Amino acid sequence: MTLSVSGLSAVRSGRTILHPTSLVIAPGARIGLVGLSGSGKSTLGHALIDDLRAQGRSVAHVPQSPDEALDPLRSMAFHWQEAEHALGLTPGSADQRGLFAALNIEGGDLSKRPWSWSRGMQQRFVIAMALIGTPDLIVLDEPTSALDPVVAAATMDLLDRHLDGRETAMMLITHDLGLAARRVFQLMVMHDGQLVEQAPTDDILLRPQTRAAQALVAHRNWMALPC
Amino acid sequence: MIMGLLGFVLRAAVVLSGTAALTFALLWNAPGDPAQAIAMARFDALLTEDVIDQVRAEAGLDISFWPAFTSWLVPLLSLDFGNSAVTGRPVWPDLVTAMSYTFPLALASLAVGLAVSLPLAVLAAKRPGSLVDRCAVAVASLGVAIPAYWLGLLLILLFAVKLAWLPAMGARTAAHAILPALTLGLGVTASFTRIIRSGILEARGQPFLPAIRRRGVSDRAIGRDHVAPHAAIPVVTVFGLELAFLLEGLVLVEVIFGRPGLGTFLVQAILARDFPHVQAVVVLTALIFVTVNLLIDGIYRVIEPRIGERDA
Repeated sequence: MTLSVSGLSAVRSGRTILHPTSLVIAPGARIGLVGLSGSGKSTLGHALIDDLRAQGRSVAHVPQSPDEALDPLRSMAFHWQEAEHALGLTPGSADQRGLFAALNIEGGDLSKRPWSWSRGMQQRFVIAMALIGTPDLIVLDEPTSALDPVVAAATMDLLDRHLDGRETAMMLITHDLGLAARRVFQLMVMHDGQLVEQAPTDDILLRPQTRAAQALVAHRNWMALPC
Repeated sequence: MIMGLLGFVLRAAVVLSGTAALTFALLWNAPGDPAQAIAMARFDALLTEDVIDQVRAEAGLDISFWPAFTSWLVPLLSLDFGNSAVTGRPVWPDLVTAMSYTFPLALASLAVGLAVSLPLAVLAAKRPGSLVDRCAVAVASLGVAIPAYWLGLLLILLFAVKLAWLPAMGARTAAHAILPALTLGLGVTASFTRIIRSGILEARGQPFLPAIRRRGVSDRAIGRDHVAPHAAIPVVTVFGLELAFLLEGLVLVEVIFGRPGLGTFLVQAILARDFPHVQAVVVLTALIFVTVNLLIDGIYRVIEPRIGERDA
């Protein structure tokens, strides 16, 4: 089912940090939300999640670092059950084995707390948790910037493979055009709290129209990056 | 685990023997003639040199420091505190009687403190800066600022003298414990309110909470499963420290309210230079501290196992 939101905006301490924005996301879409730091990408991501939730759609969110997703005092099993409970599922009903296999974290000890897992595994656990209940959309906010490039690339590959052929749409929020270029079919460029350009990935990389997009493309040797 | 326990026992042994040795040395070297003080306490009259010398010999004060120290320390290893230098009776039964007055009072004031501070702090932390919050902070500041001996006297003046609702002095009935428990309880309330409030506020700022909320977890569940455990860590710490203040306050409060507990026991023993009594209280107090620290350490390891891992 196509997701659509309109008139998303945000004001913080009297300053408009997100101008009214409308989006349409097709099932299975892969969208990259790119822009400089502070351009309002995460704000749009949060507003999008809240709005879709209010519409009754299921949206999952993966924050930048596992530190922002996992309580260090609680075990991995607790987080998993909590996520199931929040979705109204009975404990143990989610396809944990399938998701863990998809993200290559079968070896992780669920009775442990987050910090006894490696950060790469923690982040893949968070992604696996986000995929419980097959959401309509998964929003990944700089999902690999806390990981080293090799682990980051592997994580994105696993996620790609899992989402392949599924209805779940993906929005990748990143300032890293190289990452976005390899993972998404469509790019949205943010600048100063506004969505300034929206086009298929290749179009923006080869023929950026706005200054913001041109600046992003010009300052990134995106082909040379591993992910 | 076993290594940890062994390490703890070793550390406890060092603390206990150090405390014992230090107290003994302090008492031994304190100015004035201990034999005279003991004789005064025993006969309650001015005495001749002969009598004082006799007391000195009886109390084992006529030998030098090290023999005296070892003759006290060796029976202590089997928890034998010896006999009182004043009454000649064994220390243990008198100590147990004193404890039977002190421990219920200590527990009662802790209970008063927790019963008031927990709801107060939770309410205050709900909306920081609100009227309730400011009142809670005021109560906490007052509780810290008012010394127990002054508050105790004020409470006696109001509830015992003016209103005649409660007994002021002694420890015959449970009603006698109410005013002392309130006196000590206010101090406990003050520090608990502050620490629980700031613990909750700090726990609420944890970076992972927004993501958990966005996962659809209810505020109630977040408070119970994520905020409370994080807020508990500083509270547990302060609980241990609070016990120290409580023991300190108990000495004053027991003397003010004329309760024959450990505090009174200690003060009388110091005045009479009754070495075995003083030592017994000091060693007991140190033992309580060490035990409480062990418990707190155990609780930490349950809430936050990283603390245990760093040690290992």
